[in-house]
Amino acid sequence: MGLSLSQRRRLIPWMFAIPGLLWLIVFFAIPLANQASVSLMTGDPEAGYSLTWAFDTYTSAISDYKEQFLRSFLYAGAATVIDLVIAFPLAYFMAYKAGRWRNLMLLLVVLPFFMSYVLRTVSWQLILADNGWVVERLRDVGLVADDGRVLATGTAVIAGIAYNFLPFMVLPLYVALERIDRRFVEAATDLYASRLTAFRKVTLPLAIPGIFAGSLLVFIPACGDFVNAALLGTPRQYMIGNVVQSKFLNVLDYPTAAALSFILMTIILVGIVLYSRLLGTRNLTEAAT
Amino acid sequence: MPDLDPERAERELDRFFAEQRLTRRRFLGRSASAALMAGGLGAVLSACGIDGTAARNLASLQREAASVNHARVELGDWTFSNWPLYIDKAVVKEFDARYGGHCKYVEEINDNNDFYGKVRQQLAAGVPIGRDIVVLTDYMAARWVRFGYVTPIDKGNVPNFGNLVPNLRSINYDPRRQFTLPYQSGAIGLGYDIEQTGGELTSIRDFFDPRWKGRVTMLADPYDCATTVLLGEGIDASRATLDQVLGAIDRIGAANDQGQFRRFTGNDYTTDLTKGNVALAMAYSGDLVQLRSDNPNLRFSYPEEGAMLFTDNMMMPAHVEHAYAAETMMNYLYEPEVAAVVCAWVNYISPVEGIKPILERSDPDIASNELIFPPDDVRERLHSYPSFSTRQEQEMYEAMAKVTGA
Amino acid sequence: MRASDRARNWALGIWSAAALLFLFIPVFLIVLFSFNDNKGRFNFTWQGFTLDHWKEPFRDPDLAKAMENSLLIAAVTTVAAVLLGTLLAVALTRYRFRGQGAAGFFVFLPMATPEVVLGASLLAMFLVAGIDTGFWTIVIAHVMFTVSYVVVTVRARLEGMDPYIEEAAQDLGAGVWTTFFKVTLPMIAPGVVAAAVLAAAISIDDYVVTSFNAGQTQTFPLYIFGATRQGVPPEVNVLGTMLLVGVLLLMGLNLAVQKALARRDRAVVEEPPSQPPTPAVPAAGPSAVAG
Repeated sequence: MGLSLSQRRRLIPWMFAIPGLLWLIVFFAIPLANQASVSLMTGDPEAGYSLTWAFDTYTSAISDYKEQFLRSFLYAGAATVIDLVIAFPLAYFMAYKAGRWRNLMLLLVVLPFFMSYVLRTVSWQLILADNGWVVERLRDVGLVADDGRVLATGTAVIAGIAYNFLPFMVLPLYVALERIDRRFVEAATDLYASRLTAFRKVTLPLAIPGIFAGSLLVFIPACGDFVNAALLGTPRQYMIGNVVQSKFLNVLDYPTAAALSFILMTIILVGIVLYSRLLGTRNLTEAAT
Repeated sequence: MPDLDPERAERELDRFFAEQRLTRRRFLGRSASAALMAGGLGAVLSACGIDGTAARNLASLQREAASVNHARVELGDWTFSNWPLYIDKAVVKEFDARYGGHCKYVEEINDNNDFYGKVRQQLAAGVPIGRDIVVLTDYMAARWVRFGYVTPIDKGNVPNFGNLVPNLRSINYDPRRQFTLPYQSGAIGLGYDIEQTGGELTSIRDFFDPRWKGRVTMLADPYDCATTVLLGEGIDASRATLDQVLGAIDRIGAANDQGQFRRFTGNDYTTDLTKGNVALAMAYSGDLVQLRSDNPNLRFSYPEEGAMLFTDNMMMPAHVEHAYAAETMMNYLYEPEVAAVVCAWVNYISPVEGIKPILERSDPDIASNELIFPPDDVRERLHSYPSFSTRQEQEMYEAMAKVTGA
Repeated sequence: MRASDRARNWALGIWSAAALLFLFIPVFLIVLFSFNDNKGRFNFTWQGFTLDHWKEPFRDPDLAKAMENSLLIAAVTTVAAVLLGTLLAVALTRYRFRGQGAAGFFVFLPMATPEVVLGASLLAMFLVAGIDTGFWTIVIAHVMFTVSYVVVTVRARLEGMDPYIEEAAQDLGAGVWTTFFKVTLPMIAPGVVAAAVLAAAISIDDYVVTSFNAGQTQTFPLYIFGATRQGVPPEVNVLGTMLLVGVLLLMGLNLAVQKALARRDRAVVEEPPSQPPTPAVPAAGPSAVAG
């Protein structure tokens, strides 16, 4: 039409980006803008809430729930590391050794999640019962103290999170690894002699986008998780997600629930910026320059 | 490749935030038009406040209730929202066959608070929520009555109201049962593993017995746990003041700090109790009727100091569209023959009188089960929840949240 | 092959099998308990073998309907989220435009928002806009929070891929869409497939956001969560098992077809076709099951 080639080129990215961005703006950003104003309101359910620019909701939310915030990041971080360790060899196997079985394995990784978290968690509770076979064996080998237990501990919560978010680590890792041309690695093996060096110098750097994506897909939603702490932990293990849930549904303190959410989102966002710098992917920051 | 130059990182960060400010302005410009398209702008504008609930106060509702008259019309298509697996669906089919119309029976109430979260904005805005009967537990039913989110029941259309057991004909939040009718009840008591305890437990004090330290679960809702603790201290929990409840929460918290309780639970205590992770659970009577077959060592006892009785209530939401249909169903469910079928299916405590003889013929096991038909001396010691204002309720939940760590 | 190589491959294989086993431990129990002859209403203790629950798995029409809804919602969500997310990921990595950095961070935010706030604020908007909640509002919500997962997964594929291939295609006269479908999409196909599988799994397992925006529509997780109060009936285990077996059968069929095709290809070309970067796209994902 009337557009020059360069003008058309400039429009191309928007053509790709606009449908998705628009969806997120309409169904995420606008509703959330509403919550931003809720977080600055005061009142109670009976009289209603009105906007009073109550910024102190934020300061008291931070000081009251420091502990739960810290615990959330700690548990989510631990689960992320565990998932990385479990997932990397699995993703590597899927990418290079699985051949025709690759897509089957891809499906197997997510198939357990077609069976509702309630059923899965109840199953874990039955399997890990204090007097059950599994825990008895763990006691035999000394992994659990003689009077110890697995359920209702911090370990159980972290393990539960790691279990429930494992596919979020496996899939991006696989996607990134599968892209790497094996000829690079073979050439590197010839070059560096040692397999380990070849892995460290070639495979690992090329896998960085996968590690980055996978750890964010695990860490970010895990920070806001409440199910695992509620079902596998005790009050001493409750995370910030449990607080938001309780503020919103039980206490009916909508402003604090919203404020806590925004604090969490801000911390996570800053974390992502720092993390993307740390891993040095061109992922995000380079695009921002 | 890794690039950890701190100066550059800082520059990047600055640039990112500058960029974000810039784009936010642009985003806002764009989002304004997007909002109009989606009709979502109103959501932003309405953000200057959340509606309160003072629109219809209880006194005017009660006046309305005195003269309520719902005309007898064709039932039509109407909606009954209930908890999953809470009725023998043959009952609903039978109802349609007898009275005509179509009852859309929806098993959508998974949790009182979740359901309230789903419909509260419509209720506060004063629009119909598209359900003609909802079934909610006492404390939530009380909130709906207090907020005026209900439609009075025309008792002229519910002649079977006379079959309601005497101890439920009045309740503190609805003294004349103008808005709520009991559907099923259950008692809160001691669920325990007799092999672990080595004997019967009958007192609320047992929850605090150091012998079971770390092997007790406590219900997380203060309406359940704090009131039960008060009964144990000889206080009539249905008339408890907020201070008394807060005191009970404090004592629960203190015991929790000593490691007395393994967890605070909803219904999920059932796995811990069945698998022997705990010796004693604060439990619902209806669950223990069923759990015995999973673990024959399990017992339930009504505490000797008295037990809290929770009731799930049928009610019509404000601006209900098919009041007569709803009332016809309530009346139907209060027929002893129908109530007996529901009771045999659900195994909770039925609020309808005269069903025991029916079940003695059809299901003698159920008729003789004390968890479903409490003996008279127990019935006299059943207490309903205390009634609080919204602000008091908030204070209570906040205190409990401090104990449960959320 | 060197001995150390073989040992390494074995170790990798065993680790992978163990990891998959770990994922499936609770699933085995769920399948097993679909055969449990439970006398009460709860299904916690093995009480003997029975096929009774398999005789009439659809006895409760509401359970069957909930399952059907969940599958349909997952199918529609997956298609829409993959479409929107893949395009967005391409825009964010393959092109330069103003606001790109911010858009890149913005995409992470739905994942970082606690679900109850996400669900409640979306519901508020639907109500103000006068949209009745139900099947389609669940789909809208699911697309909203799965798009991010798709974008991140597809980007993991796009990062570091040679940026000049598409330019070359366009210089050769291919249009934007031709380039996308003929060049970009085949290159990122494994990423798109992985993202689709992930989106389907997230959609089919969601409780909180769905519960706010479901209206009177029931989904599988909503039904199960509600059923816990009365005891989850073993028919739920049966339906779950059937879904599992169905997906695996379809996948097996797909493998057989692929194998047959590969044999035919080998007859034509002497080269084995397993080299990247153009792996086969499976014909049957979870969405194909539902559809």
